[in-house]
Amino acid sequence: MAPIEQSEQLEDAPVVEETLVEEVSIDGMCGVY
Amino acid sequence: MGAAGVEFDPGAPYRCSPQVSLRPEPFGALVYHFGTRKLSFLKTLPLVEVVKGLESHPDVHSAIEAAGVEEAQRPAYLRALAGLAASGTIEAR
Repeated sequence: MAPIEQSEQLEDAPVVEETLVEEVSIDGMCGVY
Repeated sequence: MGAAGVEFDPGAPYRCSPQVSLRPEPFGALVYHFGTRKLSFLKTLPLVEVVKGLESHPDVHSAIEAAGVEEAQRPAYLRALAGLAASGTIEAR
């Protein structure tokens, strides 16, 4: 009954950005690259 | 975490940093910065085209246009490029 889903619908724009560039943390992956 | 406090100006000429290695991948490209040791993914092929084309264009806008990025997507591309500038992946020239 309670509309709890509404707060998740406001964040469309930042999601688009994330699909263009994703930074990956490689701390602790010494020697991989 | 940005490289410097320099503001991103899409009206200015940019280039991919010489400290960056760009490796083409099926999803876009893998970017490794030898100075900051940051690894990133460029997740669309047009974005890779833009980053590679920056050097041969007088400003960021024309590099975006040359890569065939749709008008509606350009603000998102500019934000993504601003992030790449902040991380030192691309730099003003």
